[in-house]
Amino acid sequence: MSIFRLLLLSALIFAAAGCVRSERMETLYAQRCLGCHGPSGSGDGPIAASLPADVPNFHDTVRNKSVTQIRKIIMEGKGIMPAYEPALRKPEIQDMVLFTRILSQRGRNVEWWERFDPLVWAHCNVPWEIVLGYDQPPEEKKPR
Amino acid sequence: MNLRPKEVVIGIIVAGAFFFGEQNRAISGESHPHSVTRPALRRQLHLPIPDFSLTDQTGKPFKFQTLRGKVALVAFVYTTCPDVCPLMTASMRLVQEKLPDRKRGAVFLLSITTDPEVDSPQVLKAYGERYGIDFSNWLFLTAELQTLAPVWKAFGVGVQRKARGLVDHTPLIALIDAKGVMRFGYVGSSPDHKVILRDIDFLLGSN
Repeated sequence: MSIFRLLLLSALIFAAAGCVRSERMETLYAQRCLGCHGPSGSGDGPIAASLPADVPNFHDTVRNKSVTQIRKIIMEGKGIMPAYEPALRKPEIQDMVLFTRILSQRGRNVEWWERFDPLVWAHCNVPWEIVLGYDQPPEEKKPR
Repeated sequence: MNLRPKEVVIGIIVAGAFFFGEQNRAISGESHPHSVTRPALRRQLHLPIPDFSLTDQTGKPFKFQTLRGKVALVAFVYTTCPDVCPLMTASMRLVQEKLPDRKRGAVFLLSITTDPEVDSPQVLKAYGERYGIDFSNWLFLTAELQTLAPVWKAFGVGVQRKARGLVDHTPLIALIDAKGVMRFGYVGSSPDHKVILRDIDFLLGSN
Protein backbone atom coordinates (compact mmCIF):
# COMPACT_ATOMS: atom_id res chain seq x y z
CA MET A 1 0.00 0.00 0.00
CA SER A 2 1.35 3.35 -0.95
CA ILE A 3 2.02 5.67 1.97
CA PHE A 4 0.88 8.50 -0.24
CA ARG A 5 -2.54 6.91 -0.65
CA LEU A 6 -2.80 6.34 3.06
CA LEU A 7 -1.97 9.95 3.85
CA LEU A 8 -4.33 11.22 1.19
CA LEU A 9 -7.17 9.10 2.53
CA SER A 10 -6.46 10.20 6.09
CA ALA A 11 -6.46 13.83 5.03
CA LEU A 12 -9.78 13.40 3.19
CA ILE A 13 -11.50 11.76 6.13
CA PHE A 14 -10.05 14.28 8.50
CA ALA A 15 -11.19 17.20 6.37
CA ALA A 16 -14.68 15.70 6.12
CA ALA A 17 -14.82 15.45 9.87
CA GLY A 18 -14.21 19.19 10.14
CA CYS A 19 -13.15 20.80 13.42
CA VAL A 20 -9.52 20.85 12.38
CA ARG A 21 -8.89 22.98 15.42
CA SER A 22 -11.02 23.98 18.34
CA GLU A 23 -9.20 27.18 19.20
CA ARG A 24 -12.31 29.32 19.11
CA MET A 25 -14.06 27.00 21.53
CA GLU A 26 -11.08 27.02 23.84
CA THR A 27 -10.84 30.79 23.63
CA LEU A 28 -14.51 31.20 24.46
CA TYR A 29 -14.20 28.75 27.32
CA ALA A 30 -11.11 30.51 28.65
CA GLN A 31 -12.80 33.92 28.41
CA ARG A 32 -16.20 32.98 29.77
CA CYS A 33 -16.07 29.79 31.81
CA LEU A 34 -12.57 29.00 33.03
CA GLY A 35 -12.53 31.62 35.79
CA CYS A 36 -15.20 29.72 37.75
CA HIS A 37 -15.33 26.23 36.23
CA GLY A 38 -11.58 25.71 35.92
CA PRO A 39 -9.57 24.26 33.03
CA SER A 40 -11.32 20.90 33.11
CA GLY A 41 -14.81 21.92 34.24
CA SER A 42 -14.40 20.53 37.72
CA GLY A 43 -15.28 23.82 39.44
CA ASP A 44 -11.76 24.80 40.51
CA GLY A 45 -11.32 28.05 38.60
CA PRO A 46 -9.21 30.86 40.05
CA ILE A 47 -12.21 32.84 41.31
CA ALA A 48 -14.38 29.89 42.37
CA ALA A 49 -13.29 29.98 46.00
CA SER A 50 -14.16 33.68 46.31
CA LEU A 51 -17.71 33.34 44.98
CA PRO A 52 -20.71 33.30 47.31
CA ALA A 53 -21.87 29.97 45.87
CA ASP A 54 -20.19 26.64 45.20
CA VAL A 55 -19.16 26.01 41.61
CA PRO A 56 -20.01 22.38 40.87
CA ASN A 57 -18.13 19.96 38.67
CA PHE A 58 -20.25 20.14 35.53
CA HIS A 59 -19.22 16.78 34.06
CA ASP A 60 -22.15 14.87 35.52
CA THR A 61 -24.59 17.67 34.76
CA VAL A 62 -23.54 17.79 31.14
CA ARG A 63 -23.66 14.00 30.80
CA ASN A 64 -27.13 13.76 32.32
CA LYS A 65 -28.79 16.69 30.61
CA SER A 66 -29.89 17.13 27.03
CA VAL A 67 -28.20 19.55 24.67
CA THR A 68 -31.27 21.77 24.90
CA GLN A 69 -31.06 21.88 28.69
CA ILE A 70 -27.35 22.69 28.66
CA ARG A 71 -27.89 25.39 26.05
CA LYS A 72 -30.69 26.88 28.17
CA ILE A 73 -28.40 27.12 31.20
CA ILE A 74 -25.69 28.84 29.17
CA MET A 75 -28.19 31.23 27.57
CA GLU A 76 -30.24 32.08 30.64
CA GLY A 77 -27.73 31.59 33.44
CA LYS A 78 -28.20 29.68 36.62
CA GLY A 79 -27.63 30.97 40.12
CA ILE A 80 -24.83 33.49 39.86
CA MET A 81 -23.67 32.12 36.52
CA PRO A 82 -24.16 34.88 33.93
CA ALA A 83 -26.80 34.59 31.20
CA TYR A 84 -24.82 34.67 27.98
CA GLU A 85 -27.69 34.91 25.52
CA PRO A 86 -27.68 38.69 25.35
CA ALA A 87 -23.95 38.92 24.70
CA LEU A 88 -23.09 35.94 22.52
CA ARG A 89 -24.34 34.75 19.15
CA LYS A 90 -25.96 31.39 18.58
CA PRO A 91 -22.86 29.72 17.14
CA GLU A 92 -20.84 30.95 20.08
CA ILE A 93 -23.38 29.50 22.50
CA GLN A 94 -23.23 26.30 20.45
CA ASP A 95 -19.45 26.28 20.76
CA MET A 96 -19.79 26.54 24.53
CA VAL A 97 -22.31 23.69 24.63
CA LEU A 98 -20.04 21.55 22.52
CA PHE A 99 -16.95 22.30 24.55
CA THR A 100 -18.65 21.42 27.82
CA ARG A 101 -19.54 18.08 26.25
CA ILE A 102 -15.98 17.51 25.13
CA LEU A 103 -14.66 18.36 28.60
CA SER A 104 -17.23 16.12 30.26
CA GLN A 105 -15.92 13.19 28.26
CA ARG A 106 -12.42 13.61 29.60
CA GLY A 107 -11.25 11.50 32.49
CA ARG A 108 -13.75 8.69 32.00
CA ASN A 109 -14.11 5.72 29.74
CA VAL A 110 -16.02 7.09 26.80
CA GLU A 111 -18.03 4.58 24.83
CA TRP A 112 -16.99 4.48 21.22
CA TRP A 113 -20.33 5.78 19.94
CA GLU A 114 -20.09 8.80 22.22
CA ARG A 115 -17.08 9.85 20.22
CA PHE A 116 -19.33 10.22 17.21
CA ASP A 117 -21.63 12.61 19.01
CA PRO A 118 -24.12 13.83 16.38
CA LEU A 119 -23.84 17.32 17.80
CA VAL A 120 -20.11 17.32 17.22
CA TRP A 121 -20.46 16.13 13.67
CA ALA A 122 -23.27 18.51 12.84
CA HIS A 123 -21.50 21.42 14.43
CA CYS A 124 -18.20 20.71 12.80
CA ASN A 125 -19.65 20.33 9.34
CA VAL A 126 -21.71 23.50 9.20
CA PRO A 127 -19.60 26.45 8.03
CA TRP A 128 -20.85 28.78 10.77
CA GLU A 129 -18.28 31.40 9.90
CA ILE A 130 -19.86 31.82 6.49
CA VAL A 131 -23.50 31.28 7.44
CA LEU A 132 -23.55 33.65 10.40
CA GLY A 133 -20.40 35.71 10.02
CA TYR A 134 -19.04 34.21 13.21
CA ASP A 135 -15.50 35.43 12.78
CA GLN A 136 -16.37 39.02 12.10
CA PRO A 137 -16.31 40.51 15.59
CA PRO A 138 -17.82 43.95 15.96
CA GLU A 139 -15.42 46.83 15.97
CA GLU A 140 -14.12 47.71 19.36
CA LYS A 141 -15.97 50.72 20.64
CA LYS A 142 -14.78 53.39 22.95
CA PRO A 143 -17.07 55.61 24.92
CA ARG A 144 -17.44 58.99 23.39
CA MET B 1 -8.72 5.84 -6.66
CA ASN B 2 -8.98 2.13 -5.95
CA LEU B 3 -8.73 1.52 -2.25
CA ARG B 4 -8.59 -1.81 -0.55
CA PRO B 5 -10.56 -2.38 2.67
CA LYS B 6 -7.32 -2.55 4.67
CA GLU B 7 -6.32 0.91 3.46
CA VAL B 8 -9.73 2.30 4.35
CA VAL B 9 -9.55 0.88 7.88
CA ILE B 10 -6.03 2.21 8.49
CA GLY B 11 -7.04 5.58 7.07
CA ILE B 12 -10.03 5.82 9.40
CA ILE B 13 -7.88 4.91 12.39
CA VAL B 14 -5.24 7.51 11.56
CA ALA B 15 -7.82 10.22 10.90
CA GLY B 16 -9.77 9.29 13.99
CA ALA B 17 -6.71 9.42 16.18
CA PHE B 18 -5.84 12.84 14.80
CA PHE B 19 -9.42 14.05 15.14
CA PHE B 20 -9.88 12.97 18.75
CA GLY B 21 -6.38 14.01 19.63
CA GLU B 22 -7.38 17.53 18.60
CA GLN B 23 -10.66 17.37 20.48
CA ASN B 24 -9.16 16.03 23.64
CA ARG B 25 -6.17 18.32 23.67
CA ALA B 26 -6.10 19.59 27.20
CA ILE B 27 -7.15 23.17 27.53
CA SER B 28 -4.35 25.26 28.87
CA GLY B 29 -4.06 25.12 32.60
CA GLU B 30 -2.27 28.45 32.63
CA SER B 31 -3.30 30.88 35.26
CA HIS B 32 -6.17 33.19 34.41
CA PRO B 33 -5.00 36.24 32.50
CA HIS B 34 -6.44 38.59 35.09
CA SER B 35 -5.33 38.26 38.67
CA VAL B 36 -8.91 38.55 39.71
CA THR B 37 -8.58 37.43 43.27
CA ARG B 38 -6.04 40.05 44.27
CA PRO B 39 -7.31 42.21 47.14
CA ALA B 40 -8.77 45.49 45.97
CA LEU B 41 -6.76 48.69 46.39
CA ARG B 42 -8.42 51.13 48.76
CA ARG B 43 -7.99 54.84 48.09
CA GLN B 44 -9.21 57.77 50.13
CA LEU B 45 -10.36 60.63 47.91
CA HIS B 46 -12.40 63.81 47.75
CA LEU B 47 -14.05 63.79 44.34
CA PRO B 48 -17.42 65.54 43.95
CA ILE B 49 -19.69 63.55 41.62
CA PRO B 50 -21.92 65.60 39.32
CA ASP B 51 -25.62 64.73 39.20
CA PHE B 52 -26.80 62.24 36.64
CA SER B 53 -30.00 60.47 35.61
CA LEU B 54 -30.14 56.82 34.57
CA THR B 55 -32.77 54.07 34.31
CA ASP B 56 -33.19 51.38 36.96
CA GLN B 57 -33.91 47.66 36.56
CA THR B 58 -37.65 48.30 36.53
CA GLY B 59 -37.40 50.86 33.75
CA LYS B 60 -37.99 53.83 36.06
CA PRO B 61 -35.77 56.91 35.91
CA PHE B 62 -33.32 57.38 38.75
CA LYS B 63 -31.67 60.65 39.72
CA PHE B 64 -28.38 60.48 41.63
CA GLN B 65 -29.17 63.66 43.53
CA THR B 66 -32.07 61.89 45.29
CA LEU B 67 -29.42 60.12 47.38
CA ARG B 68 -28.24 63.33 49.07
CA GLY B 69 -28.23 62.70 52.79
CA LYS B 70 -27.37 59.02 52.34
CA VAL B 71 -24.13 57.15 51.94
CA ALA B 72 -24.03 55.43 48.52
CA LEU B 73 -21.97 52.45 47.46
CA VAL B 74 -21.59 52.47 43.67
CA ALA B 75 -20.15 49.60 41.62
CA PHE B 76 -19.35 49.43 37.90
CA VAL B 77 -20.09 45.99 36.51
CA TYR B 78 -21.76 44.22 33.57
CA THR B 79 -23.94 41.17 33.70
CA THR B 80 -22.04 38.88 31.31
CA CYS B 81 -18.69 39.64 32.94
CA PRO B 82 -16.97 36.34 33.70
CA ASP B 83 -14.32 37.40 36.19
CA VAL B 84 -14.18 40.54 38.32
CA CYS B 85 -17.86 41.56 38.38
CA PRO B 86 -19.26 38.45 40.12
CA LEU B 87 -16.78 39.04 42.93
CA MET B 88 -17.61 42.73 43.15
CA THR B 89 -21.34 42.01 43.25
CA ALA B 90 -20.72 39.32 45.87
CA SER B 91 -18.85 41.85 48.05
CA MET B 92 -21.66 44.38 47.64
CA ARG B 93 -24.20 41.74 48.60
CA LEU B 94 -22.26 40.98 51.76
CA VAL B 95 -22.23 44.68 52.62
CA GLN B 96 -26.01 44.79 52.12
CA GLU B 97 -26.52 41.67 54.23
CA LYS B 98 -24.27 42.74 57.06
CA LEU B 99 -25.62 46.26 57.38
CA PRO B 100 -27.40 46.59 60.72
CA ASP B 101 -31.11 47.39 60.36
CA ARG B 102 -30.69 50.80 61.97
CA LYS B 103 -28.25 51.82 59.19
CA ARG B 104 -30.14 50.39 56.24
CA GLY B 105 -32.13 53.54 55.71
CA ALA B 106 -28.96 55.63 55.56
CA VAL B 107 -27.11 53.55 52.97
CA PHE B 108 -27.97 52.91 49.32
CA LEU B 109 -26.28 50.64 46.79
CA LEU B 110 -26.02 51.14 43.04
CA SER B 111 -24.63 48.92 40.29
CA ILE B 112 -24.04 50.84 37.09
CA THR B 113 -23.52 48.84 33.93
CA THR B 114 -20.47 49.16 31.73
CA ASP B 115 -22.22 47.33 28.89
CA PRO B 116 -25.39 49.24 27.97
CA GLU B 117 -25.59 47.40 24.65
CA VAL B 118 -26.50 44.18 26.48
CA ASP B 119 -27.67 45.28 29.91
CA SER B 120 -31.24 46.39 29.46
CA PRO B 121 -33.40 46.92 32.57
CA GLN B 122 -34.81 43.41 32.15
CA VAL B 123 -31.36 41.84 31.93
CA LEU B 124 -30.24 43.75 35.03
CA LYS B 125 -33.34 42.69 36.94
CA ALA B 126 -32.73 39.02 36.11
CA TYR B 127 -29.08 39.41 37.14
CA GLY B 128 -30.02 40.88 40.52
CA GLU B 129 -32.61 38.17 41.09
CA ARG B 130 -30.08 35.43 40.38
CA TYR B 131 -27.92 36.90 43.15
CA GLY B 132 -30.92 37.00 45.49
CA ILE B 133 -30.51 40.74 45.95
CA ASP B 134 -32.92 42.82 47.99
CA PHE B 135 -33.84 45.67 45.63
CA SER B 136 -35.26 47.86 48.40
CA ASN B 137 -31.95 49.71 48.82
CA TRP B 138 -30.02 48.51 45.76
CA LEU B 139 -30.68 49.58 42.18
CA PHE B 140 -29.13 48.38 38.94
CA LEU B 141 -28.76 51.20 36.44
CA THR B 142 -28.39 51.52 32.71
CA ALA B 143 -28.94 54.06 29.91
CA GLU B 144 -27.83 54.83 26.39
CA LEU B 145 -24.08 54.90 25.84
CA GLN B 146 -24.03 58.69 25.41
CA THR B 147 -25.73 59.09 28.81
CA LEU B 148 -23.53 56.57 30.60
CA ALA B 149 -20.16 57.66 29.22
CA PRO B 150 -20.06 60.95 31.22
CA VAL B 151 -21.03 59.01 34.36
CA TRP B 152 -18.16 56.56 33.88
CA LYS B 153 -15.87 59.52 33.29
CA ALA B 154 -17.05 61.33 36.43
CA PHE B 155 -16.09 58.32 38.52
CA GLY B 156 -12.82 57.80 36.65
CA VAL B 157 -13.93 54.49 35.18
CA GLY B 158 -12.42 53.50 31.84
CA VAL B 159 -14.61 51.32 29.61
CA GLN B 160 -13.69 49.64 26.38
CA ARG B 161 -15.92 47.17 24.58
CA LYS B 162 -13.96 44.29 23.11
CA ALA B 163 -14.97 41.72 20.55
CA ARG B 164 -17.48 39.01 21.41
CA GLY B 165 -19.25 40.72 24.24
CA LEU B 166 -16.28 41.30 26.52
CA VAL B 167 -15.85 44.69 28.14
CA ASP B 168 -12.67 45.95 29.73
CA HIS B 169 -13.47 48.32 32.55
CA THR B 170 -11.98 49.71 35.72
CA PRO B 171 -13.26 47.43 38.50
CA LEU B 172 -14.32 50.27 40.78
CA ILE B 173 -16.57 50.31 43.81
CA ALA B 174 -16.96 53.86 45.08
CA LEU B 175 -18.23 55.04 48.43
CA ILE B 176 -20.06 58.36 48.23
CA ASP B 177 -20.82 60.52 51.23
CA ALA B 178 -24.10 62.27 52.02
CA LYS B 179 -23.03 65.36 50.04
CA GLY B 180 -22.39 63.42 46.84
CA VAL B 181 -18.60 63.35 47.19
CA MET B 182 -16.63 60.20 46.43
CA ARG B 183 -14.61 59.57 49.59
CA PHE B 184 -13.29 56.03 49.11
CA GLY B 185 -12.53 53.99 46.02
CA TYR B 186 -11.88 50.25 45.99
CA VAL B 187 -10.26 49.16 42.75
CA GLY B 188 -10.12 45.43 42.20
CA SER B 189 -12.35 42.45 42.20
CA SER B 190 -12.38 41.46 45.83
CA PRO B 191 -12.91 44.42 48.14
CA ASP B 192 -13.24 43.29 51.71
CA HIS B 193 -16.82 43.92 52.81
CA LYS B 194 -15.62 44.48 56.39
CA VAL B 195 -13.40 47.35 55.25
CA ILE B 196 -16.30 48.85 53.30
CA LEU B 197 -18.61 48.52 56.30
CA ARG B 198 -16.02 50.23 58.47
CA ASP B 199 -15.73 53.10 55.96
CA ILE B 200 -19.53 53.38 55.82
CA ASP B 201 -19.55 53.68 59.60
CA PHE B 202 -16.90 56.37 59.36
CA LEU B 203 -18.97 58.38 56.84
CA LEU B 204 -22.20 57.93 58.79
CA GLY B 205 -20.42 59.04 61.94
CA SER B 206 -18.91 62.11 60.31
CA ASN B 207 -22.23 63.30 58.85
